[in-house]
Amino acid sequence: MLGINLMTQPTPTLDASLERKYAEFDTLIDAVEYAAKGVRGINFYSSRGELVEALTYTELRDRAVDIGKRLVAMGYEKNDRIALIADTSADFVCFFVGCQYASLLPVPLPLPTSFGGRDGYVDQLAGQMKSCGATAVVTPLSMQELVLEAANRFDFKFKGTPEQFLAEDVVLGDTRLPKTDDLDYLQYSSGSTRFPHGVSVTHKSLMVNCHDMGKYGVQLIEGDRCLSWLPFYHDMGLVGTFLTSLTCQTTVDYLPTEDFARRPMTWLKLLSDNKATVTYSPTFGYDICARRAGKSAMEGLDLSSWKVAGIGGDMIRVEVMKNFAEKFASVGFEPTTFVPSYGLAECTLAVSFMPIGVGIVVDKVDERVISGEKQAQLPHGARLNGMTNGQTNGYRDIVNCGVPLPSYELEIRDESGTALADHNIGRVFVRGESVMRDYYNDPEATAACLSKDGWLDTGDMGYMHAGSLYIVGRAKDLIIINGKNHWPQDLEWAVEQIEGIRSGDTAAISLPGTNDEEVPTLLVQCRLRDDDERKAFVEEIKIQVMKTTGIQCQIELVPPRTLPRTSSGKLSRVKARAQFISGVLSSPTVH
Amino acid sequence: MTNDDIRIKIMELIVPFNKKNIELKPETTFAVDLDLDSLSVMDLVAEIEDLFDIIIPLNLLPDLETIQQVSDAVEKIMGDA
Repeated sequence: MLGINLMTQPTPTLDASLERKYAEFDTLIDAVEYAAKGVRGINFYSSRGELVEALTYTELRDRAVDIGKRLVAMGYEKNDRIALIADTSADFVCFFVGCQYASLLPVPLPLPTSFGGRDGYVDQLAGQMKSCGATAVVTPLSMQELVLEAANRFDFKFKGTPEQFLAEDVVLGDTRLPKTDDLDYLQYSSGSTRFPHGVSVTHKSLMVNCHDMGKYGVQLIEGDRCLSWLPFYHDMGLVGTFLTSLTCQTTVDYLPTEDFARRPMTWLKLLSDNKATVTYSPTFGYDICARRAGKSAMEGLDLSSWKVAGIGGDMIRVEVMKNFAEKFASVGFEPTTFVPSYGLAECTLAVSFMPIGVGIVVDKVDERVISGEKQAQLPHGARLNGMTNGQTNGYRDIVNCGVPLPSYELEIRDESGTALADHNIGRVFVRGESVMRDYYNDPEATAACLSKDGWLDTGDMGYMHAGSLYIVGRAKDLIIINGKNHWPQDLEWAVEQIEGIRSGDTAAISLPGTNDEEVPTLLVQCRLRDDDERKAFVEEIKIQVMKTTGIQCQIELVPPRTLPRTSSGKLSRVKARAQFISGVLSSPTVH
Repeated sequence: MTNDDIRIKIMELIVPFNKKNIELKPETTFAVDLDLDSLSVMDLVAEIEDLFDIIIPLNLLPDLETIQQVSDAVEKIMGDA
């Protein structure tokens, strides 16, 4: 194979020879060519923290140019889609960039994450391949059997491993370079598993977002080094840690996602060993580190180099972050290292960042304001590093997700589309150059969230306060009873307090009643078969929800593992509601 | 180590994860019977790997539904090593 160079040393943090540019390029190709002039790159580590491969950006460029020339020579047309099974490897990175040298669109596809579910995984791959109309798929050898099961449903020009691709007999010609407004890649991380839609990202969108993140969000400086366990099939792993590092000439160390899930402390050990400064993770990543932090794993750990512990990708849970900060305080972790952020794949990745060095700031917001019963008043900010008093009755902690990046306009709008003043909760709309062009080949889904003049409806609810964005929850899932808003998360949380029920086991939706009123309904996954047990279970849930939220809910039991999820694993309430109404999610005995 | 030995050791590892206190049998499934979420599964995988000093590759996971299937996989990986 070409250009493989197994280095025994990781690429360095510092590079005096290259002046840093913050993605000030027209295309990803220009960014790669510039980074290739330096000595930095990407390092891949094993679950035990050993260096597996070091890929300098120079080597990345060389391998990608070769792959690009081969793709052109094999007859792929501009903008053809190439599915890439996104394992954390140098091969994935080289093929992703290689597609750019042929003006093709790479489409990163996911890996399995748990025991079982073979058919579901294969169907998910096939659904995404069909949605983007891929004509080739490149897969690591280990995944080949499963991937071919999906790919064999289509008439692909190529399906196989990187080695097989490079062994194809072709006469190499030229590369075919993209322009700034051309599409760069497709991202499948939003939308449901059954009806996937890919976000279309242009070179310009990517450069603008990488520039904003590198220069204003993370504020990369000479000694910065990124570390990531995030998968390449997720926007935060692809754009946040890989493409931003590449386009801003920063060295990044990668730990495969599955290794992080099994041995999360390796992430912190690498941070300590390599003096990394910048990471991102959803809340649950910090959660599993805190859970697995045994005495021996803490030994010798020094987290004092950490500058940006970015949090994004899920609703930020303050208690979890507090717990992490307390657990790792003795090895140099400062809570001011946390950098809450907000973003979505439809905006390439990032929308807002907390200023670095501040930490988590929460507003205590009156529940009656959140539910729409009461007008907003000035909220009072409280700092996590000052350690506030946790849950105050009748108030909810809402996390400050920071200041919108400079390239965005942002508005909070009410139901009628009117822009709201500070402190008023409404739907978050954004406009700017890193907003997606469309959902690929899906004008209907695009029109539902993106206006002709470029405003994107994020689907999230929030408010502004002193220039910062506070995210409250998702809009579409609201349950409104007698004019009062109820957040489904709250009803679900109430149910989850019952022993044996976990996050994701229940979906709160509203169903139309006999007089067209909304009836709050909880769909709860249940594997009890005995009628009496099921009835008792329903009673227990009703009592719990009533006790916790004061709401009388209808309870519907559904079979285990039937509640629909998006491809990024989030519960899809909209889908659950539609399926329940159409009878797909049946409840055989109790009503 | 025989397949039975491996299965017994795996069952011992599962005990703390068996929140519903169901009877563990070779055909017990992780997702439905034990009701493990994907993070708990990864905790369990890590413990199995540590105990047997092996690596369970990612591509095997989708085919592993029951305790017996995991025991068979561990036996095979140890045999290949």
